[in-house]
Amino acid sequence: MSEPILVAENLTKWFPVKRNLTQVLRGQRTWVRAVDKVSFTINKGEIFGLVGESGCGKTTTGKLIMKLLEITDGTLHMQGENVTHIGGQALEKYRRQVQMIFQDPYSSMNPRFTVREVLMEPLEIHNVGKDVKERESWIREILNEVKLSPPDEFLVRHPHMLSGGQRQRAATARTLMLNPSIIVADEPVSMIDLSTRAEILHMMRQLQRELGLTYVYITHDLSTARYFTDRLAVMYLGKIIEMGVAGSVIDRTLHPYTKALIAAVCEPVSGKVNRIKDVPIKGEIPAATNIPPGCRFHPRCLYAVEECWQEEEPTLVDVGGGHKVACRRYAEIERLGDAARTSEASLGMKRTSLRT
Amino acid sequence: MTKRDFSQMKALWDEFRRIKFGMVGLALLGMFAILVIIEPLIVPFPDAASRWRDMTYWVDNPRNAKPVWVNWFTSKDYAPSARIESDAFASEASGSGRMYVTEIPYKYHWVQAPTDITLRLGVTGNATYQVEFVRPDGLSVSYMKTSKSTGTRDVRISIAQNMAPQMFQFAQKIEDPAVMNSVTAATVNPLAILFGKAEKGALLRGDKPLTGTYTVKVTALTADATASLDEVELIVAGGVQGILGTDNMKRDLWSGLIAGTKWALIIGLLTSFIAVVVGVIYGVTSGYYGGFVDSLMNRIYEIFASVPLLPILIVMSAVFKPSIWIMISMMCIFFWVGPVRTVRSIALQIKESSYIEAARGLGASNRRILFRHMIPQLVPYAFASMALSVPGAIVYEASISLIGLGDATRVTWGQILQAAFSSGAVLQGIWWWVVPPGVAIAVMGMTFAFIGFAMDTILNPKLKTR
Amino acid sequence: MEKERILEVRDLELHYFTRKGVVKAVDKLSFDLRKGETLGVVGESGCGKTTMGTALLNMPTPPGRIVGGQILIGGRDVLKLSEAEVRRRVRWEQISMVFQGAMNCLTPVYTIEKQMKETLQQHREMPKDEAMKRMVQYLNLVGLPEQVLKRYPHELSGGMKQRIVIAMGLFLEPQVVICDEPTTALDVVVQAQIINLLKELKEQLSVSFIFITHDLSIEAEVSDRIMVMYAGRIAELGTNEQIYGPQGPAHPYTQRLMAATPRLHEEVEELAFIPGTPPDLVAPPTGCRFHPRCHVVMDRCSRDDLPLREIEPDHLVACWRCFHE
Repeated sequence: MSEPILVAENLTKWFPVKRNLTQVLRGQRTWVRAVDKVSFTINKGEIFGLVGESGCGKTTTGKLIMKLLEITDGTLHMQGENVTHIGGQALEKYRRQVQMIFQDPYSSMNPRFTVREVLMEPLEIHNVGKDVKERESWIREILNEVKLSPPDEFLVRHPHMLSGGQRQRAATARTLMLNPSIIVADEPVSMIDLSTRAEILHMMRQLQRELGLTYVYITHDLSTARYFTDRLAVMYLGKIIEMGVAGSVIDRTLHPYTKALIAAVCEPVSGKVNRIKDVPIKGEIPAATNIPPGCRFHPRCLYAVEECWQEEEPTLVDVGGGHKVACRRYAEIERLGDAARTSEASLGMKRTSLRT
Repeated sequence: MTKRDFSQMKALWDEFRRIKFGMVGLALLGMFAILVIIEPLIVPFPDAASRWRDMTYWVDNPRNAKPVWVNWFTSKDYAPSARIESDAFASEASGSGRMYVTEIPYKYHWVQAPTDITLRLGVTGNATYQVEFVRPDGLSVSYMKTSKSTGTRDVRISIAQNMAPQMFQFAQKIEDPAVMNSVTAATVNPLAILFGKAEKGALLRGDKPLTGTYTVKVTALTADATASLDEVELIVAGGVQGILGTDNMKRDLWSGLIAGTKWALIIGLLTSFIAVVVGVIYGVTSGYYGGFVDSLMNRIYEIFASVPLLPILIVMSAVFKPSIWIMISMMCIFFWVGPVRTVRSIALQIKESSYIEAARGLGASNRRILFRHMIPQLVPYAFASMALSVPGAIVYEASISLIGLGDATRVTWGQILQAAFSSGAVLQGIWWWVVPPGVAIAVMGMTFAFIGFAMDTILNPKLKTR
Repeated sequence: MEKERILEVRDLELHYFTRKGVVKAVDKLSFDLRKGETLGVVGESGCGKTTMGTALLNMPTPPGRIVGGQILIGGRDVLKLSEAEVRRRVRWEQISMVFQGAMNCLTPVYTIEKQMKETLQQHREMPKDEAMKRMVQYLNLVGLPEQVLKRYPHELSGGMKQRIVIAMGLFLEPQVVICDEPTTALDVVVQAQIINLLKELKEQLSVSFIFITHDLSIEAEVSDRIMVMYAGRIAELGTNEQIYGPQGPAHPYTQRLMAATPRLHEEVEELAFIPGTPPDLVAPPTGCRFHPRCHVVMDRCSRDDLPLREIEPDHLVACWRCFHE
């Protein structure tokens, strides 16, 4: 019974680039097109992943959802209400429903605050609970939820007295203080040790089930995304180029960029030491101020044909089962495989295999 | 103060303790604070501050007396100042009134005679007074004075002012006539004569002192029974007096210096405190809001920062009566620009932190973020900045006083220096007037500089990595 | 396949002398590095892998100090040489290091050329044209054109900067290059590029690499032999096949780390995690340092001093359970 909770339509965020005098006089203006017409629907109770390399716009999208940044264009609806440009009371209400877990668990909490103060802050801001005692008991309850028990031991500590995993639990506790519906998690485990990562993810999943939360999970790590998310969207240069059920996107990859990402990921299996990784991509990421015409991936695509840069940018097409891809040649590529390649280059290296 | 603040202060203190010159600065500051607190106990003239310009308060001091410890460095010891009260009065009836007699012994064993000896007679009514100085060699010089007045008052008889002719005559009896011809009553040093050996050729030269016990006999003959001699005090205005000597207005410089300490601390600390508080709030607000607000605040800051303070102060003192409070206010108005630049850049850095973003995500208002998240981060820097601005404020006041625009009703180190320079102390070699206040200013500046640098050392690395 | 041993480390001990106590960061470490191989050093934060890297150059970060052991290069113990000798003949000549985040340590105010030349000339007297030739040679080797020399660091991408730093680690032609997390700050595509580069270099130059990372997956694709560190000691040291092959690693810690690593093409119901945190190295646990967190702990694990033993050719483990099998 999945109903949409967050709907983004053509969500756009462009940042103005500072101009020098000459440019001002000439009337030139450049924009960093960080998020460029992004549309998605997130269903209640699901874990939705935003995946991509740095600069693809996933973090910016997260901040747009959090309303830490103003939306330049497009709309955002939460539970049917238009929340694109809201302020005052409506914004306050929105904030209580959408919270964020940040990447660096240490710097996301004021190092001079104790855990108690960190957790008390959202309650103070929104005037939750009628007195300090009520607030404290709520804090204790949440600390138990995130398995930081006994709570009294953790209330008096400062962030630097906690381990990385503990800090992230405290940060999660903070998001829960206001009883949100949506939690945006920006790389929540990338700065945590491997052996503790799964523990944190496990906790997050448990909370989701118990409290009926919806997650927007932002990461660059495809493997973790596969493990944790239900559906995911792959972003490139501000656009979603492939989206669908996690397993489907990763096992039945359609977009050339996603293919390159998958090929680049390392796996802990033997036998790969003496083999050069064949990553089907060329060139470097262009600057976000200078987005290529047509399909923005075309300069790096090994399957690109003329239409890819001459025609309009391809939009997301549903290929079945909710799996969407923005590539005009996806069917051919799926059918022909490597034979569909139009370019020999691969990662700019001269040789493609090693003599053993 | 929450526990968090305490543990942080303790951590700060632990680090501070390890920096040697920080501890030196703190020790010096403690010394200054103690001096201010025990001021009334350690200065011979506790009202120095309020009565600096009151001539009567200093009347019994020598002029330009050197510090007492000068005697340790010279073989020709100076006679120090002294005040000896007589304790025993013999009185008997005599005619229609009474005759009072008292004696004060004065042990003299120095080389350089005092600048003056005054007898202060506390009297009531009319009487005739005779003062006789009996030397150890038996010779004596006396002086008589009649004073007619009702009521209780002080009658002062001073050797330098009143007894020069008597001393001259005394010298004539002893000294070589040839030598006596070249001098007059006005040109001899009457005290050198009193305390000199009765030797031909040596008396007037004044290099052979007659050591021993001198007795000062005071006899008062009153006209009627209502008059009386109440007290007699022998006041020796020595060549050396006090820990730092006196200036040409007979003011005890040690008292003045200690009295000025309190002002130095007030000016320094008050100015820098206000300036830093204003500056920090200004800088944080400017850095946090950014955009138009920041630009506007920057322009205002630049205006204040480019105005030269000294001409303004000169104009102010021409318009208003120079008062120390006006001076402090003016300094505050312009000193606040000091920390703004650095505070603003720190604020810009903090603004980008994750936890500020998190706070905004929670819905925190700007005011909350400013006062609960950003300003507490700047408190350590504020302390360091305060410490470093104190010397500036003190020196400013001293400079203003030096050019004559200071508050003349207060005793500050700057004022003492100003008086010294305008009286030509340097030319006259009155070094004890010039050097101590200068050294005091330097030491206090050093004190705060040390503390400030030590705090900077602790805080800077942290400011950089966060 | 006994290749020549280039680097031998015997009982290396490095301690940090802090106010809170002595942190035994590297505790009697012994291992070999063979010619032309990549030795991966993998472990989580605080295991001592970076510390060991700097120790190999005899450059411990203060308040750390090397208190024991030997580092033999070409038969000569580096720890017995004077600092001047080490600087002149060992560092960068025989062993060099690409530090963690090195690409961010390129000074923003100087061109690449200036910075590379400075490093080059600090170690060797070289006429300008020869220096230039060598710089270009190595830049090409890492896949960068000569034009890069005239650029400033901020004009280059992360991948390019990392390649420059690798070139700098190579151009004095050392025998061993230590790479500390060379791919951590990079995107996954660029990371693949760098990994490919290292493989190429290994073959072309017959340089030996020590590849330090926390990422088990990257090690699998890069290293011939892998050394797993925990709390300053070696838990397991084996070949790529032994650790990542179907039989799986021997040490319980390595096993759990593997189980905690998500796989791209597998549907995993529940990833494993290791409860607890790494131990305080001022007062580490007795016996095996991992025993408080071990899921198959035995009695003697907390009692007896734990040696590193060979359980099959080229495969060393420090675990009592493994010795019994």
